[in-house]
Amino acid sequence: MTSIAIRAPRGLPALGRLLPYVLAVLAAFAVAGIAILAMGHDPLLAYRSILTTSFKTPFGFVETMHKWVPLVLQAVAFTIPLTAGKYNIGGEGQLLVGATGATAVGILLSDLPMAALLPLLIVTGTVVGGVWAGVAAWLMHRFGINEILSTVLLNFVSFGVVDYIASEVWSDPAAGHPSTIPIGDGGLLPLLGRPPMHTGVILAAVVVGVAIVWMRRSVGGYELRAVGANARAAQVHGIRVGRVAVGALVIGGAVAGLSGAIEVAGVHGKLLEGMQSNYLLLGIIIGLIARGNILAVPFVAFGIAVLEVGASAMQRSAGVPSEMVLIVEALILVFVLLSDVLAARLGRARS
Amino acid sequence: MSERRLSATVEPGATPAGLHLLEMRGIRKTFGPVVALDGVDFEVGAREVHGLLGGNGAGKTTLMNVLYGLYRPDAGSVHLDGRQVTIRAPRDAIAAGIGMVHQNFLQVDSYTVAENIVLGTRQPTFPVLDLSAAKARIAELSERFGLAVDPDVRVENLSVGVRQRVEILKALFRGARLLVLDEPTTNLTPQEVDALFGSLRAIVEGGMSVIFITHKIRETMAVCDRMTIMRDGRRIATLAREETSARQLAAAMVGEAAEREPVVAVVGEAATVADRQGEAPGVPEDAPRRIVVEGLSAHNDHGVRAVHDCSFEIRAGEILGVAGVAGNGQVELAESLAGVRPAVAGRVLLDGVDMVGRPTAAWLEAGVAYVPEDRHRDGILPTLSIAENLILGAQRSRRFRRGRFIDPGAAGAVAAVAMSTYEIKASGAATAAGTLSGGNMQRVILARTFSRRPGLLILHNPTRGLDIRSTEFVYDRVREATQAGAAVLLLSEDLDELTLLADRILVLYRGRIAGERRRGGYDQYELGRLMAGVEADT
Repeated sequence: MTSIAIRAPRGLPALGRLLPYVLAVLAAFAVAGIAILAMGHDPLLAYRSILTTSFKTPFGFVETMHKWVPLVLQAVAFTIPLTAGKYNIGGEGQLLVGATGATAVGILLSDLPMAALLPLLIVTGTVVGGVWAGVAAWLMHRFGINEILSTVLLNFVSFGVVDYIASEVWSDPAAGHPSTIPIGDGGLLPLLGRPPMHTGVILAAVVVGVAIVWMRRSVGGYELRAVGANARAAQVHGIRVGRVAVGALVIGGAVAGLSGAIEVAGVHGKLLEGMQSNYLLLGIIIGLIARGNILAVPFVAFGIAVLEVGASAMQRSAGVPSEMVLIVEALILVFVLLSDVLAARLGRARS
Repeated sequence: MSERRLSATVEPGATPAGLHLLEMRGIRKTFGPVVALDGVDFEVGAREVHGLLGGNGAGKTTLMNVLYGLYRPDAGSVHLDGRQVTIRAPRDAIAAGIGMVHQNFLQVDSYTVAENIVLGTRQPTFPVLDLSAAKARIAELSERFGLAVDPDVRVENLSVGVRQRVEILKALFRGARLLVLDEPTTNLTPQEVDALFGSLRAIVEGGMSVIFITHKIRETMAVCDRMTIMRDGRRIATLAREETSARQLAAAMVGEAAEREPVVAVVGEAATVADRQGEAPGVPEDAPRRIVVEGLSAHNDHGVRAVHDCSFEIRAGEILGVAGVAGNGQVELAESLAGVRPAVAGRVLLDGVDMVGRPTAAWLEAGVAYVPEDRHRDGILPTLSIAENLILGAQRSRRFRRGRFIDPGAAGAVAAVAMSTYEIKASGAATAAGTLSGGNMQRVILARTFSRRPGLLILHNPTRGLDIRSTEFVYDRVREATQAGAAVLLLSEDLDELTLLADRILVLYRGRIAGERRRGGYDQYELGRLMAGVEADT
């Protein structure tokens, strides 16, 4: 597991470091194109609709940004613990309990004005997500239980929690799908522009910016990176490794919880079964394609959001199943990882 | 066998010096832009112990790796008995009669000596494994060459010295005529070194030849018939022992420029350390005690007690050496005094304050600086930059912090100074520390350590793997620190280093202090007996 190459080979100039990515994307499209062709569709038409939908209309762009929010936050929720050498595979559980907490606040205090309800709702979602990840962190710190296992298993617990809340506690029988009644209007994120974009996009961008600065410049971020680079050396030099790892998982969980709160307050207005979509998986793919480099995460996340939004357009225009996009995304990751092996081989051949 | 060699080496163009078992001609090896070997010629005669001498990075190990088929040279040829041979892999080298004993033994811990020795060879009884014939042969070899070892004992129960004998027997068992030993005396007591040298003489008298890789001049003078000195990937000279001196070898190793004169002096000093015996301890009796250790005990990583009831003190300006064969509690002692490993009993008073039970960061703040033995494992953040490595441990101090953030200006300034003062060779302070060579990594660690102005300096094998000039550099910094009033604990497996630097030496055996000697009373053989546990002070 830990053998996944997290960092690009050092010593290459920036342009040279970008090249493997470009090649990986091209190769992924080429391989998927063969599959599309074999299925009897036109790959060029398919790719044109994938790549242009986000930019052709304002509507497409807003949709892409709405998609970007949970993707980038899930990727950050994965990347922060990864930097300390810990694997948070519980982003969707943290998203769901965060959404649950936010919904509970939004329903119970639905009469509060926006100035009070919205911040409360966002903070609650964030805190609940952090606490949820904190359970796994505590098990890891206290009993040495592998955080990969505990975070994954807590996802299944969260499904049960959502099911219970959406079908038993605040069920909305009229919805036709397990969901709660809507939260108070004061809990909804304000919209901007036309077509309307929810302000969660700005919130997410600010959070990502803070995360980047914190990771790269702050003392806490330094200790996080030190633990991930060499936990022994960090410990020998006075860094409390256990505490840093716990902190990283809790912060990751909080960011994932925030993404749940934004989904409730910006997109659905309520808790909805299945709202976690495949954001966890995509968040991990984004984090790995970015090789754990938090600076690259928002850009990779934007690229994946473009592919995701383009997927349904492709289905409409070229008749290619939208799942093909997931194959492209997976292929990009495979080729990026493969480029490490190739670079290492080339390096060895040269020496 | 020697008959055959005689006839085979008679060949036009052979060097007039005579009958060479091995000739390497014009060996060139580059790693990217780095020229590791620059057209090296190297000859080993029949029946000789040939020293291959040089500092770190001189290319001696690279040359031997070419011979053993671990590297393929860019140019050059290898001749055995005057015939050119092609060696592409260690398999070919073994078939040609070359045996190599590496610094890290490649042995299966849970196998017996005999099983380890036959591992990888095909026994005549195949597919049945019957070791009786092999054991008889091993017994014969160990008898003949003075390599006493019980073939039925598991190697995990053996000391480093005996495991090395197993490794030599392994090579002889495979029919080696030319034995390459890479720094074989590391971790041996002086008695074991003498035994090894005795065996090497027996091996040579038995008609074989030995290449002895080392950077210790004293050992070369003790056992080698001839020696080849390498520097910067080139052969500098090949000399017979009778025609040379320790001083001349030291000069050849470091180069001849006048500026290197002090270095040569130090090497000469280390080479003939017995000359310095008369000096009295340099620390006044009334100097304040910076550290007092009382009844300290500590566990190893497996929860087994590795340090037993150790008590000592170090005064300001004093260097206390700790001698011992690796694995006798040195790591645990160093780590418990650095605040990294919790003490299970006892007190550690730093300037009068008991530090036991405090977090590591508190020890650092109290002025403890630690240069760990394993720099890769304990000292370096490989993916972080040199600048970031230099602030490790001080990231929360006011020097590098502005609010919650690290001050990049302060860190950069410190890095720039450190890189020039410590001659860290890298393209810049942003270079990832993991890409540095071992010597440069150690310089980063030393720069970090000394920049803290330590009150207690703990050094564990600080010069291992460093060349002479870097070693001298480290010694200078240590002396500077003592002049500034630091107490130094120097744990080292190099007795020359300890007798050169330390004011007192403690010998650690099985986690206990087996004896203490003061400057003026150092006798390496006596220290060796204490290290081996054959004798203990009461």
